[in-house]
Amino acid sequence: MKLSDLLLMSLESLFKRKVRTILTIMGVVIGTTSIVVMISLGIGMKEALLSEYESYGGLRSIEVESSGIYDDNGKEKNPEDTLLNDARIEEFMQIDHVTSVDPVLSVQVIIKCGIYECNTELLGVSRDVLEEKADALGQGSIPAEGEGLQLIWGNYMPAYFMNSRTNQYEYWDTGKAPDIDFMNDQMFVIFDTEKYYQSQYGSQDGTPVSAPKKYIIPTAGVIAGGLEDYNEDSFYVYCDIDALKAVLEREFRGRVIPGQPTRKNGKAYKELFYTRVNVNVDEMDNVTQVQQIISDMGYRAYSNAEWIESDMQIMNIIQAVLGGIGGISLFVAAIGITNTMMMSIYERTKEIGIMKVIGCRIRDIQFLFLIEAGYIGFIGGGIGILLSYALSFLMNKVLGLGAMMFDEGAKLSVIPPWLALVAVTFAALIAMLAGFLPSIRAMKLSPLAAIRAE
Amino acid sequence: MEKPVIQVKNLYKIYRIGENKVRALNGVDFTIQKGEFCCIVGTSGSGKSTLLNMMAGLEPPTKGEIIIGGEHIERKNESKLVLFRQAHVGFIFQSYNLMPNMTAVENVAMPLTFQGVPKDIRERKAIKMLKTVGLGKFLDHKPGQMSGGQQQRVGIARALVVEPEIVFADEPTGNLDSNTTLEVLNLMRKIVHEKKQTMIMVTHDNYLASFGDKVIHIRDGKIIKIDEHPGGRTENTEYENTDIYPGGTLAVPGEEIRPDENS
Repeated sequence: MKLSDLLLMSLESLFKRKVRTILTIMGVVIGTTSIVVMISLGIGMKEALLSEYESYGGLRSIEVESSGIYDDNGKEKNPEDTLLNDARIEEFMQIDHVTSVDPVLSVQVIIKCGIYECNTELLGVSRDVLEEKADALGQGSIPAEGEGLQLIWGNYMPAYFMNSRTNQYEYWDTGKAPDIDFMNDQMFVIFDTEKYYQSQYGSQDGTPVSAPKKYIIPTAGVIAGGLEDYNEDSFYVYCDIDALKAVLEREFRGRVIPGQPTRKNGKAYKELFYTRVNVNVDEMDNVTQVQQIISDMGYRAYSNAEWIESDMQIMNIIQAVLGGIGGISLFVAAIGITNTMMMSIYERTKEIGIMKVIGCRIRDIQFLFLIEAGYIGFIGGGIGILLSYALSFLMNKVLGLGAMMFDEGAKLSVIPPWLALVAVTFAALIAMLAGFLPSIRAMKLSPLAAIRAE
Repeated sequence: MEKPVIQVKNLYKIYRIGENKVRALNGVDFTIQKGEFCCIVGTSGSGKSTLLNMMAGLEPPTKGEIIIGGEHIERKNESKLVLFRQAHVGFIFQSYNLMPNMTAVENVAMPLTFQGVPKDIRERKAIKMLKTVGLGKFLDHKPGQMSGGQQQRVGIARALVVEPEIVFADEPTGNLDSNTTLEVLNLMRKIVHEKKQTMIMVTHDNYLASFGDKVIHIRDGKIIKIDEHPGGRTENTEYENTDIYPGGTLAVPGEEIRPDENS
């Protein structure tokens, strides 16, 4: 028989028994819907979790620091071997899956604004990284190259300013942050913090120390958002790494720059080393692998991958349990299909017999029943998917469960296209599996006994 | 002489019912030539239907050979038998066995569907065949809307549409009244003769059997007599609807005792 005839004949015999077909299909609809909705809840939770991680910092980046005396594996190291400079960045670039390496130069500074002061880390980053932040800015813009040292403020930074008269962080005590206008107020930056504290509180040997130089550093931009909004830039102050280098070299000429490594004799190196570098990897799944390579090279490497991996494992288990619960109803539906097909074969014993006598191939008879079962699964799966999308929409938008349980805009239930495709295929396959036993039975009916049946 | 199209050699069929053995066929030998209209006649339980079923490959013999067109039927497995029937055999049933929710055309086209013939060709052939059996006006009728005679004509059209070399008919007129019986019988004979097809008909009616070129009388699983009168009975004498037929055998209406080997 031709495939088109097989498909048509199977469809016709489904139509002959409308009520039973509809009831059987309903079973599959419920089964598919419960699986898809359950899995979509798992996916929704996973995505909410991932986006939460994203706000903590890159999911695909590894933070690399020089090793110190011992490396990650506890082996004694010469720290000089792992000091981070441009040559090392080149080495990291050679590792598979690494897309880019961003150096970070971090210095501890004191920033004063009127009566407020803030002891914070100033992060010098490359131009690429700086320019990526352009979209996140609420005010100002990214400074152009060669404009000298300018600052980009995280939106949470006002909370870190202390009232220097009362020595109190007003935000913690009163819930109200100091009113600092980064764009227009004059911000004084002190790089030599040790000298500053000595001038304020006296040096150890009691000799008076003069106040260090204060630099007026203009603000180029502020990250968008208030004190309630968190993202990966909220808690930092950024600047151009080259501009920072220039200022540091001038300020600490001939002396050791705080935070920089020193030679064994305590003298400064000629070169300015990076505090750390961020190694960016093409895909999340490769992070662990690259991290291992870097760590084997003797560096200290950190990433969120370990946390995420263990969390994702838990999520996968939850998802499998949810899917399994949904699977039970599809299993029941499959039994329903087998039952329906069995009934149908008993009813059609005579018909099958006649077909065999007048020349229907045995294989075709089996196909007819398998296809019939497949239709039930396919149609049921299709309707089930539509129903799942409707339920998902209901949960996310109308009831707003996602926003209630997670952040604003998060979805409780997410049905990606692949899930829809897999679900329909799965339903059709399960149905055909359920129809397999009946189809064998139909195939084995003796034509003679079948014709005699009334 | 031409090689016979059907050869049956030393055929046995033995059913086992509990402790007893029932010999439904007890050593049967005969040949049928191409183009012959052969009738197998006997009372209920004589083994005639068993013989037909075995020739059509619907049940296997216990012993013996059935050679049709040079092929050993008894050696084929079920899927080969289906292919054989699809290619060479038409089958006409006593109770018509039409698909109740298909139209006449769809019923007749069904064997062609199984052969994989495209839709337009098989419909054309089915319509032509239905016109040949005189049902040109009933193409889109379903079996429920037709009389017994009309339904059997659909059955005949379905058997003949694939232009089989051999047509098996199992009591084809058993459910028809006497006038319709003769009409249907003459129709079958006419078409089969025109196309040089071989037909084997099983009946319990000696009068109907006498229409055949060859009449095989069978009783208790054995052939008791083979009449040959090529051309068969030609005149349509008035058909007496009595239980005593010209052959003199008493036919007992009702179900044959057929032990079911499948239950």
